[in-house]
Amino acid sequence: MTTELLLCAEDISYRQGGRLILDCVSFELRRAQITTIIGPNGAGKSTLTNIVNGLIDNYTGHIERSPELRIGYLPQKVYVNTLMPLSVERLLRLTRQSSDAEIDRALAQSEVGYLRQRQVRSLSEGELKRVLLARTTLGRPDLLVLDEPTAGVDVSGEIRMYQLIGELRAQLQCAVLLVSHDLHLVMSQTDQVLCLNQHLCCSGLPESVSQHPEYLALFGQQASDSIAVYAHHHDHEHHVSGATDAHRHD
Amino acid sequence: MTEWLDDFLLRALLAGLIMVVIAAPMGCLMVWQRLAFLSDTLGHAAVMGVGLGLILQVEPLYGVLAVALVIVFSLSRVSHFNNALSETTLAIISHTGLAGGIILVGLLPGPTVNLEAILFGDLLATTRADLLNLLLTTILLLVLLLRYWRAFVALSVSREIAQAEGIEVRRVQALMYVMIALLVAVMMKVMGVLLIAAMLVIPTSSARLFSRSPEQMVLISGLYGLGALAGGITSSFHFDWQTGPAIVVSATLLLLLTLAITRLLKPNLD
Repeated sequence: MTTELLLCAEDISYRQGGRLILDCVSFELRRAQITTIIGPNGAGKSTLTNIVNGLIDNYTGHIERSPELRIGYLPQKVYVNTLMPLSVERLLRLTRQSSDAEIDRALAQSEVGYLRQRQVRSLSEGELKRVLLARTTLGRPDLLVLDEPTAGVDVSGEIRMYQLIGELRAQLQCAVLLVSHDLHLVMSQTDQVLCLNQHLCCSGLPESVSQHPEYLALFGQQASDSIAVYAHHHDHEHHVSGATDAHRHD
Repeated sequence: MTEWLDDFLLRALLAGLIMVVIAAPMGCLMVWQRLAFLSDTLGHAAVMGVGLGLILQVEPLYGVLAVALVIVFSLSRVSHFNNALSETTLAIISHTGLAGGIILVGLLPGPTVNLEAILFGDLLATTRADLLNLLLTTILLLVLLLRYWRAFVALSVSREIAQAEGIEVRRVQALMYVMIALLVAVMMKVMGVLLIAAMLVIPTSSARLFSRSPEQMVLISGLYGLGALAGGITSSFHFDWQTGPAIVVSATLLLLLTLAITRLLKPNLD
């Protein structure tokens, strides 16, 4: 754990209408590391990401961000207006000026370069997710915050999406904060797991978290076993991403 | 110096043109943000404003603007700008405003008020003062549109994205509401309170059929608006139809024509 510290959160608590959503959560995000937040529905996962990216600011506790930290955020539910005529390219340029080259690079990284001129309303859900992922990388973020990036994507798309996120991490050298339900699919890429249920039940490496009693209480032995299996493939994933990089250049 | 404005037909034409210019971008934004029903509500409730204005002996336009702003402000408090406005709430406001306004107007002594002109507009009776109001409001709205266009479009595309990327969604939305109130107040004279929404929605729907970008849709909406205006004024002049309704019917005919043509050219269109 010697990479650059990008964000340090200490004792974050948050109440909404008197209800405690987050209770004294502390964690660190480091460059080029993938942190995955897991936890049951209503555990406060999305709330935590919104605190990290600055959308919620009336929390208690302390967050230290590295100076000029650039955050790219992909919300869990993005309702993209289908009443509007809008090309993919324009969607990427919605709130910032980007050069053609930057747009091309971002779309290519998410393997959707061919969609550039398409109308957003004609995209499938999976295509839209990738376009939105490309969009979040446009500002060359130091930290990518992805809230359930595979919601609504089929299983093979899901696996590919997580591979892409791993590749983006490698190419952009950014930290990734990922919220996920798909425990076993995510784990192989993850450097740090935050198991959240209002409070931080446990955190650490996927293998250690999966043996933690609170984790087992929340998700059961079966989930733990599936992680053990996937954790086994850890080295292999890096190999795949490397191979894909090489492929991209020819 | 402005004798040329003495011609009532010319004044009507100018008022119509100005309205088309501002209705196109505003109409597109409202259709994108599903706010067309809000313009309808403000239009209906505007009758109350007219009634208040007449009773208090101020320019009805100010009465309308006051009522529209009160409604927009109340809605902003209730909805916190977070959710789409509830149809029920809007319907209640809309019809209470209309009913209350008609009672108010009925209380006025003598046959001073032409209720039909309020409800359906009277473009051919446009005065110089009307024209000036319309022009100044349109300029103000155009300036605001240019200044905040990027934010308005981003908000229309996706509230989540706009918010996540530092656009002050609530402020921009509040500004949008106030602009709609202004627009309704000045369009009322031309279109009548019941038909304002039509002019914001119908040309826009035609343009949507083959636009490829937001700005293109605004431009094409404007062209359809012009077509509707020309058709409306012509038929109004020749057949003595009421102008507002004639414009709306022209706009719909153009929409149907466009639909038919696009179906013929692209039979596989969704």
